[in-house]
Amino acid sequence: MDFGTGAALPVSKPPLARQFNPYTSNGGTILALSGEDFSLVASDTRLSERFRIHTRDQPKTYKLTDNVVLGCCGFHGDVLTLNKLLAARIKMYKHQHDHEISCSSLAQMLSTILYSRRFFPFYTYNILIGLDEQGKGCVYSFDPVGSYERETYRAGGTGASMLQPLLDNQIGFKHQNIPEQDRPELTADRAIALVRDVFIGAAERDINTGDGLHMQLVTKDGIKTLDRFPLRKD
Amino acid sequence: MSILEYNGSAIIAMIGKHCVAIASDKRLGIQAQTISTDFRKVFEVNSGLFLGLPGLATDVSTVERTLQYRLNLLQLRESRLLTPRSFMYMVSSLLYERRFGPYFVEPVIAGLDQESYQPFIATMDLIGCPMEKNDFVVSGTCSEQMYGMCESLWKPNLEPLELFEIISQALLNSVDRDALSGWGGIVHVVEKDRVTTKHLRARMD
Amino acid sequence: MCSVSQFYSTRGIHDIDDKYKSRPDELEAILPIIPTSSLYTQPFQVPPGHDPATYLTQLAAIPSENGDNVPEIKFDHGTTTLAFKYKNGVIVAVDSRATAGAWIASQTVKKVIEINPYLLGTMAGGAADCSYWERRLARECRLYQLRNKERISVAAASKVLSNFLYYYKGMGLSVGTMICGWDTKGPGLYYVDTDGTRMTHHVFSVGSGSVYAYGVLDAGLKWDLTDEQAYDLGRRSIYHATYRDAYSGGVVNLYHMKETGWIKISQDNVMDLHYKYADEKIAQ
Repeated sequence: MDFGTGAALPVSKPPLARQFNPYTSNGGTILALSGEDFSLVASDTRLSERFRIHTRDQPKTYKLTDNVVLGCCGFHGDVLTLNKLLAARIKMYKHQHDHEISCSSLAQMLSTILYSRRFFPFYTYNILIGLDEQGKGCVYSFDPVGSYERETYRAGGTGASMLQPLLDNQIGFKHQNIPEQDRPELTADRAIALVRDVFIGAAERDINTGDGLHMQLVTKDGIKTLDRFPLRKD
Repeated sequence: MSILEYNGSAIIAMIGKHCVAIASDKRLGIQAQTISTDFRKVFEVNSGLFLGLPGLATDVSTVERTLQYRLNLLQLRESRLLTPRSFMYMVSSLLYERRFGPYFVEPVIAGLDQESYQPFIATMDLIGCPMEKNDFVVSGTCSEQMYGMCESLWKPNLEPLELFEIISQALLNSVDRDALSGWGGIVHVVEKDRVTTKHLRARMD
Repeated sequence: MCSVSQFYSTRGIHDIDDKYKSRPDELEAILPIIPTSSLYTQPFQVPPGHDPATYLTQLAAIPSENGDNVPEIKFDHGTTTLAFKYKNGVIVAVDSRATAGAWIASQTVKKVIEINPYLLGTMAGGAADCSYWERRLARECRLYQLRNKERISVAAASKVLSNFLYYYKGMGLSVGTMICGWDTKGPGLYYVDTDGTRMTHHVFSVGSGSVYAYGVLDAGLKWDLTDEQAYDLGRRSIYHATYRDAYSGGVVNLYHMKETGWIKISQDNVMDLHYKYADEKIAQ
């Protein structure tokens, strides 16, 4: 009996394939906070690629409905495609159900859209903010393939690892022996001041974050875009 | 994974008003597995002069022993204490001797000058490029988190107690976002006439 | 980009003879004309080329114009879960940490997925993979109930999930889950993963911290435990795993599956547990 070795047999090779890399990182940092009656999303305005700055004026927050805003960064091509897809799906939902989609439903919808690209992901980090059914501020954060969670604060993008521990400390009161009932409620003014502080820090150390700080505040009166706050431009 | 992340570590040094502080975590792990929660990575090489060695644990021991040996010999020969800056150059030279097969540590140096009582902090890369700072230095597996914390919390002219609080908050909240470091913390605050050492109550996960 | 149909054709299309041996209904996607409704049951888009499964890993190896690689897309991963049967039902205990590399993405993940009042699933591996497929499982279980006027058995539910996952075997999904429930046969506990494994046993632990959890669990596990003893055992096992394993931590979520459905027993911060257990040790 002949046990031919693999080498002696004709080996079928996979077809020769040329590849290009469909992803790049365009940097940017996003941050979202929520309080009793508001939620806030912030992003820097730099769009970059490695050591090159494409533009200093590209906010990374996207208005989805009258009271839901998406913070979205990563690969800008995927960011645009995802937002186009989301806009279409939101419109379809509205026509089908005869009402605007709620923040929690939109979060679940975004999750399944992201998961539909499980094998060829959108390289995007997403944070969704709005008001919940009780009128409280809400923040939903996502990983690139749609794992999501409702939180009260979250940072995303290239500067996330610098911002998140400070938010844990200042908003989550981590390592601050203050009993739950004595913790001051987060007001919109304090949230805005804190966001400015942490972005100054991130712009100092992260080369892909800087130029300007763009903030959108969601309250029962709708979405308000705040004045641009300058960040370092180098 | 980088070999610098094999054991996990986090070290911060900060300057205050006539004082310096150095803080480190206590974990020794082998990748995901925590082996010890009282591993020493900050050493008092002279009275009031501290050396922090985050990185590969085996090299932490080797570098610390070698440096202590060289420092003792030199101080005996010269009958004087080395200034923090001179010590930094000594560390730098030792690391550069292994330019093409480096020790995997990125040292942090913190201390008060024995004569002028000027605060001094510095850090360097694993082949000994020294970098003196006049605010804070960080090194270890969660350096990004530590930069974020320090950048927002630090301000000039901190009194020793404030400095202790800020360096502790910076360390604890940073390591809580890093899987490889934490499991306790230790802080040394160096003033003109004393060194205060405190152990921090931390998350143990 | 190649169409979805090209990819699916490499795996062959078989007739569906048993509804619970069926592949998931992404099969719709292979139809030459994609119906409008497929926007709601979305097809999975796959990368172009000969071998889509390894496409993403290959990408990391392609240098871009100036030599850097595009940073790896890191997904959240989950990690110590356990479940065991004893005389009063099934105990499910999990940690709550999600990591992306060494970065702790979250300390507050819900790793027990409440499929319905009589079924719980646990999360280990890819967070998105677990939550998506167990959501799909919840839908199938609800449909079963509507069609058959009775609840689905734990065995059948776990097999539905197992079949979903087996269909995508080799495509890079990562799920390690325990399906716990109560049906006409009593308490049920199944382990299902993305290799296609599906098995039943009275105790399982899944995830990178499972080795430590097993150590504590096996030492204390008896059929005759009281409820309180069983809860303590589950909690302690997870706590010890969080202590030794870098990728486990946060809080311990504890569930009890009873004849009347599941109840949530407790949620304890691991930091509090550590110092509580330490004090108890000193007191002894």
